[in-house]
Amino acid sequence: MKIWVIAERSTDGLRRVSKELAAKAATLGDTTVLEVQPTSGEHVSAVAAATGLAERATAESPDLILFGATPTGRDVAARLAAKLKRAYLSECTDLAIEGSSVDATRGMYAGKVRARVRAALPAVASVRPNAFPLADGLPEPEVTAVAAGAAAGLEFVRFEPTASSGGRVSLSEARVIVSGGRGLKGPEAWTQVEALADVLGAALGASRAVTDAGWRPNEEQVGQTGKTVTPDLYIALGISGAIQHLAGMTSSKVIVAVNKDPDADIFKVADYGIVGDVFEFLPAFTEAVKHAKAGA
Amino acid sequence: MRFLICIKQVPDSTTRVKVAANGTSVVTDGVTWSISPYDEYAVELALEHKDTAPDTIVSIISVGGPRTKDALRQALAMGCDDATLITGDGADQFGPLGVANALKSAVLDLKPDLVLCGKQASDDDQGFVGPALAEALGWPHVAMVTKIAPSADGTEIWNETEGGHEVWKASGGAVLTVQKSAKEPRYPSLPGIMKAKKKEIPERPVAGLEDPVTLEIVKLEPPPARGGGKIFRDGDTKAFAAELAKLLRDEAKVL
Repeated sequence: MKIWVIAERSTDGLRRVSKELAAKAATLGDTTVLEVQPTSGEHVSAVAAATGLAERATAESPDLILFGATPTGRDVAARLAAKLKRAYLSECTDLAIEGSSVDATRGMYAGKVRARVRAALPAVASVRPNAFPLADGLPEPEVTAVAAGAAAGLEFVRFEPTASSGGRVSLSEARVIVSGGRGLKGPEAWTQVEALADVLGAALGASRAVTDAGWRPNEEQVGQTGKTVTPDLYIALGISGAIQHLAGMTSSKVIVAVNKDPDADIFKVADYGIVGDVFEFLPAFTEAVKHAKAGA
Repeated sequence: MRFLICIKQVPDSTTRVKVAANGTSVVTDGVTWSISPYDEYAVELALEHKDTAPDTIVSIISVGGPRTKDALRQALAMGCDDATLITGDGADQFGPLGVANALKSAVLDLKPDLVLCGKQASDDDQGFVGPALAEALGWPHVAMVTKIAPSADGTEIWNETEGGHEVWKASGGAVLTVQKSAKEPRYPSLPGIMKAKKKEIPERPVAGLEDPVTLEIVKLEPPPARGGGKIFRDGDTKAFAAELAKLLRDEAKVL
């Protein structure tokens, strides 16, 4: 069984999801970790990346090509699968090889349904961050460079950074997410939310009400028209728990909810809940986490 | 300028989706059908351009059975100019590459400058058809698009990525898969609804189209049930907060 993992890099080395996949792939078969190199500049279009990978895949015939389900990974994976005319399994949360097929678990209907799907090999899949464990102290996998191909009719113009994104872990890859809803009453509350996120090393999330109101950027929205997330810990502050929001976060390992409405739907999915004032909770909990982390 | 927007009819986002008794499909009785949410953002993106450049033509297309016409009429009522339905036996059963091939032949006939679709449909959540259509056409595609700026020598396209937007420029035809953006899709107007009711929706047959790979659904199930959590009520929120931090560290082991 020949498995490819297409890795992505962040400023401090290979992305965690790439390492998770390399470790998982090694249990499935003979693994090669590849990384697409830009031919010029630093931005590679999905079509250029897929073209470079397809050329090599045609020559080497991998059985299964795995991507992290990041925005870039999903985009390149879909184009590559189309190029190679292979089945594409997107945003898988589990994978197994069964004979000459791959079986995967993935969400459908924005997470309202869990599907087990099967595709004949060869196939392409993208896998959610945090789907597979990553043991501490593993050496970085060896990475083979693949040159991007051409993207006729498309050129890179510029990058426009989001003002508020400075230095935080990405939402899709975060192990801990602190998410805020309408109950936080306004954008000023995020000073306190960010203080908690800093202590936890967490990414910031938001309900749709919050991004629609312009309190937070759209890319922080969790739920049906936002991101589906699967962190170890999801803390929902002042979020009532509309079905579209729940769909995006119920696969989190541990869910904490704080809301003053005892009947809020968010409590139905919470592992720990506090019925109370989120503004009393936030500073007290931030201090308590500091103490807990320090071993007190 | 002509836009072609590929839309899919899916259960409305407020639907409580239930797995059918066969375990491999969902219950469709009593479901309210709607345009997939990201496809609505694609329609809005094109209509916004039409607002500023009224000679813009916004065409819509879908692959599916007879009820799919309701979704097309909904888009017509929002202000789209014309609609086409690709239909026939098995039109509901097509895999993404089959749908892409069906759409390709329509694109070649309708000759749009840009093709838009949602970044993924909200039923199968795959995000495969858009890139696959671009591949079938030999066009570039840009995903997670939140904004476009067409000009005489091409179209600037904003691609939402982690930490910001990459801006790309397409010199000719391109497929754009649209992400939610700040501008909410408009509601159909009453005159729009009346006009949409009367519009002819031409049909194209699906027969003889290539659908090279399939994804077999082995089993569908609801997500694992949650609940039965420890909920602290009627007490001192600050004390609860301190207790919670200890539980997260010692019991849940996530700190």
